[in-house]
Amino acid sequence: MATETPKKQLQSPRKPKQSLNNLKVQSSPLSISLSPQTPQSLIPPQAPPRRSLRRTSLHFSSTPIEDSIEYEKSDPKTPRKAVEEIGKISGQSRKGQSHEERVKTPKTPKIPKSKRNDENRKTAKLGILGEGMVEAEVTFSSVTPEVLETKKRKRGEDKTVIPRAMATRSSKKKEKKRVYYKKVVYDEGEFDVGDDVYVKRREDASSDDEVPEMEECRVCFRAGRSVMIECDDCLGGFHLKCLKPPLKEVPEGDWVCGFCQAQKLGKYVEFPEPPEGKKRVRTLREKLLASDLWAARIESLWKEVDGSFWFRGRWYMIPEETACGRQPHNLRRELYRTNDCADIEMESIIRHCNVMSPKEYAKANDEGDDVFLCEYEYDIHWHSFKRIAEIDNDEADDEHADSDEDWNSSKEPDSGTDEDMEYEEESTRNAQARLSTAHLAANSRKGHFFGLQKIGTKKIPEHVRCHKQTVLERAKATLLLATLPKSLPCRNKEMEEIMAFVKGAICDDRCLGRCLYIHGVPGTGKTMSVLAVMRNLKSEVDAGSIRPYCFVEVNGLKLASPENIYRVIYEALTGHRVSWKKALQLLNERFSDGKKIGKEDDRPCILLIDELDLLVTRNQSVLYNILDWPTKPHSKLIVIGIANTMDLPEKLLPRISSRMGIQRLCFGPYNYQQLQEIISSRLKGIDAFEKQAVEFASRKVAAISGDARRALEICRRAADIADYRIKKQISTVNSSTGKDIVTMAEVDAAIQEMFQAPHVQVMKSCSKLSKIFLTAMVYELYKTGMGETTFEKLAMTISCLCTSNGEAFPGWDTILKVGCKLGECRIILCEPGDRHRLQKLQLNFPSDDVAFALKDTKDLPWLAKYL
Amino acid sequence: MGREKEKENPSQKALNLLRTRLSNPNFVFKPLSDSPDSNYSKLKFIISSSITEACNNSILLLGPRGSGKVAVLELVLSDLLQQYPEAISVIRLNGLLHGDDNCALKEIARQLCMEHQLLFSKVASFDDNSQFLIAMLRECGLAHKTIIFVLDEFDLFAQAKQRLLYSLLDAMQSVTSQAVVIGVSCRLDVDQLLEKRVRSRFSHRKLLFLPPSKEDTERFLEHILSLPKDSSLPHSYTVEFNGRLKNVLADERFKELINTYLSFNSTIGQLMRFLFQAVSYMDLDVGFLSLENFKTALSSTQRQPKSECIKDCSILELYLLVCMKRLEVKEQNSYNFNSVMTEYKSIHDFQTSDNYAGNVCLRAFEHLLQRELISFTDNRGHNQSVEFRPVKLLISPAELYQGLKSYRSCPAILLKLIAR
Repeated sequence: MATETPKKQLQSPRKPKQSLNNLKVQSSPLSISLSPQTPQSLIPPQAPPRRSLRRTSLHFSSTPIEDSIEYEKSDPKTPRKAVEEIGKISGQSRKGQSHEERVKTPKTPKIPKSKRNDENRKTAKLGILGEGMVEAEVTFSSVTPEVLETKKRKRGEDKTVIPRAMATRSSKKKEKKRVYYKKVVYDEGEFDVGDDVYVKRREDASSDDEVPEMEECRVCFRAGRSVMIECDDCLGGFHLKCLKPPLKEVPEGDWVCGFCQAQKLGKYVEFPEPPEGKKRVRTLREKLLASDLWAARIESLWKEVDGSFWFRGRWYMIPEETACGRQPHNLRRELYRTNDCADIEMESIIRHCNVMSPKEYAKANDEGDDVFLCEYEYDIHWHSFKRIAEIDNDEADDEHADSDEDWNSSKEPDSGTDEDMEYEEESTRNAQARLSTAHLAANSRKGHFFGLQKIGTKKIPEHVRCHKQTVLERAKATLLLATLPKSLPCRNKEMEEIMAFVKGAICDDRCLGRCLYIHGVPGTGKTMSVLAVMRNLKSEVDAGSIRPYCFVEVNGLKLASPENIYRVIYEALTGHRVSWKKALQLLNERFSDGKKIGKEDDRPCILLIDELDLLVTRNQSVLYNILDWPTKPHSKLIVIGIANTMDLPEKLLPRISSRMGIQRLCFGPYNYQQLQEIISSRLKGIDAFEKQAVEFASRKVAAISGDARRALEICRRAADIADYRIKKQISTVNSSTGKDIVTMAEVDAAIQEMFQAPHVQVMKSCSKLSKIFLTAMVYELYKTGMGETTFEKLAMTISCLCTSNGEAFPGWDTILKVGCKLGECRIILCEPGDRHRLQKLQLNFPSDDVAFALKDTKDLPWLAKYL
Repeated sequence: MGREKEKENPSQKALNLLRTRLSNPNFVFKPLSDSPDSNYSKLKFIISSSITEACNNSILLLGPRGSGKVAVLELVLSDLLQQYPEAISVIRLNGLLHGDDNCALKEIARQLCMEHQLLFSKVASFDDNSQFLIAMLRECGLAHKTIIFVLDEFDLFAQAKQRLLYSLLDAMQSVTSQAVVIGVSCRLDVDQLLEKRVRSRFSHRKLLFLPPSKEDTERFLEHILSLPKDSSLPHSYTVEFNGRLKNVLADERFKELINTYLSFNSTIGQLMRFLFQAVSYMDLDVGFLSLENFKTALSSTQRQPKSECIKDCSILELYLLVCMKRLEVKEQNSYNFNSVMTEYKSIHDFQTSDNYAGNVCLRAFEHLLQRELISFTDNRGHNQSVEFRPVKLLISPAELYQGLKSYRSCPAILLKLIAR
């Protein structure tokens, strides 16, 4: 059972360690540094396995942790069983967390105090008393930083520091403070936050110095300047001229060296031995992949009070180190990012390496030897994999925010302002995320979900990696609604207008009554355009040409009730959750009365309300409130409303329409050229569609709705149909000769499927009595000219039809049942069957459809007479 | 005695086997699944392609009741769960149970929590649950897991604001998720019920489930009713059973019989019900299926409840019905007990036969109401007493006439009265 709380298991062996540490501190305060130890300064006598080493580096105790690994495996406790122990456990795990925090600030006397406060508050909130924690902290804060000073090496001449936005704050800063940096130049190398570096595993003096910059050829063992080619299997390098037969140029695609080919065929291969007296030098990459080195990603950088430089590293792992080992489809240069972090001294950095996402990796050509691929994050507790989201979640930013504002701000702990609360929330969130507290419900409150880290594959499924996409599959992937296109064609004018509106509103100091109403039928790119404009603006903010602003996006259909919008807005602005009434009051204070609380409150705020029509209540107060704020002098609020109906402002009360209806922007339905452009811009470079097929689809959609989503879906469905046909052909005929291109026929089939109601087919294949029933309905309609008829009349007609054509009349109740069945499918509309002869019936489709469907029925040729 | 028991054994076993088969949709729909045109392979292709290619899809399964929509879907899902273990989580909702958006979202959250062994909180609000759903979609997408939402009675989800569908489909078009929404409905116009912004986000894949063709039905009958060669049943019995069955199936009378049944309702589900009935009529002493079994089953399915009701009526009740019919002929469209009574009295003015008192007639009248041969015209006036509320005849004059004629001892005068 892999569902217990692993954190607990990880933490449980730590208690003895604590005391052990204590002892050591007392006995030899000089030899044991209380600052987090770098792997380098930690030389265990018996070289424990790598994982445990990492953990020790995290928790600065030199006990070998083989036993902790055992714990990890053997502890059978389920989280629920442990409920009564939660106090203890989470006390411990809290300790684990506080370790990390303490690690960060062991020498700043001010901050630990406030932090302790925070922690106490937190624990109280969770109903847990962390006694062990307090104890532990006493131990640590008793250590003075001066002890360590002696151990620090001389350093600093070759150090230049580029502080990030610290200038304003530096005056406030006290001496004994940890200073965070965005970029550090250290040992002639520049290290940014977010860089990937090699980290020394142990002091290995001999290999340390002679790190080869150039890889050697596997045959002649010289580096040289000439072109080398890399084997995709063993990653060995070869000079082109050393190969047998020599190659003239680097071939396209994959290339596997002769040795690997031979090995694959089962032969015994003898690699060429290096010449006598020359030791083969391994590159850092080889060492890393043989787990003699580590790689980590720098999450934050800081200078300790004593002047030593540290960074917080997030480990990378090679596939061999994961629980399921190397999987057959792992690439040679693949690494996993873990969720395991440690504080490391900058000393142990060897140099940069380059860990890339698959996209970058595919583009990278000659970036050197230190290039790695990382697509997945590995959860060390649950041993599961998860893809790394493309747009990295703002975790890193959070960390910055933490370090930048909260850690360094020298506010007194009892000031009790917003920030403290914010910080507290932040850290509880982080703590809870780390803890994987299984006793909290996954879908419950506080805007954060617990236990989501459990979700992850135990193994990366094979089909993801080994499957090579066909042209059609690539076409399908780009036509997906979820894939964001690189450019948005055909909406330039509208986007410029939105851009001008927003810029005008932000840049002017007087943003009075700014409100934009955007309307248009679904699928015309309204929301997408606004979001694209916002992305552009964000990049401009980053570039510094516009003032920062805050952007809040609300969707009317996703609110439980219209009033909830206040709550959502307030939460987006401040991060606090309050009831909607309270939120309304606070927002009123902020926007109408111009009361600014936080320092970010004077930023302009852009509010995007999608599906605005859903906010219309009976007295329309919600809309009025929201649209009234922008007119207030100090609100700095800009509202962009999106809805489908053109005349929404006119339908509303005049006091609302006067506030909203001034600036409007219409997104007209796309015409066929535009749709064609949208589709073909997505399909650029993929030769899967006939040109006419795309045109046909776009013309059809333009004629019906002009909805881009529809057009994309039709094309995707057409590709799907073609794909299905081809795959079936291959599986039956075993020949892949089918031309894999989407033609008119497939597009037509997709259009039929999307736009045509299937009633004709159902009528064609329904039972005999149903056909007679429908015919009688049509006959009745012609006879009386009235759409509606009653069951009594219809039954009479049916019995007439049956007797005059030699069919047996089945009886009234059977016919009633048949009618109700048809009513269920909505081929006819009918009242419930218990009305019996009074039941009213009506055809749901034009009688021509019925006539068309039943005209040539084989077993009832006489039906045609009555149609 | 012992020998008899032994004899009985195989037929009992065969009966059990047939009944198990008939009530197991997987067995029934399996043989229809191999051809590339079948809904099974199409549906499987769509779902498995969204698993392997990591895309979102939404599909509608349409067709009359009993055409095997859910059965085929379950077949596909069970196959895929075997093929990609751990990569799929199926969330099942039913419009009859979860038509309310709030409750549907809660149920989704519950099932997701169950599936991933997370703790579920009942008190979570709508907002929380919808955010949880979006977060789960994202996380599952990142972990290469597909969530399949099966929405049975889809038409009931497509009502009012359609918040659930909107938030599901909107999440699917904006987040890197892997999800399939499968709507199952017997309403053919269900996509017209969707609100326009929901419809725009829907993929509009449709699979239509139709009743089988005649040839398919024949293959089907043989597939289901013939006993397997390699079973625990004695070989000789199996051979004889199958031989006799073949004779029955080839019989013209049988074909006619099946056609009569199919002309009423030709879906597979109904056919299964019919066969189950027929098989249950099998005589255990004989141990073989015969034409008689099917005949009895057919006659028991084709009942005419209203005309059978007339057979059970008393003479007085028939009088009342005839009176009402006479009132209708006189174009007196609204009548209650009192007006019926005046008509009843007027009949007896010139004919002297069974003339009953008013309170007896009222009893008969109430009985007719209970049998639903007549009903109140409207639901209003519950506080009025029965005599004054207007009623309507629920049986047509033609049926009434038929019923009177086949009544065992119908007074001749009644037939005369109804004709006039």
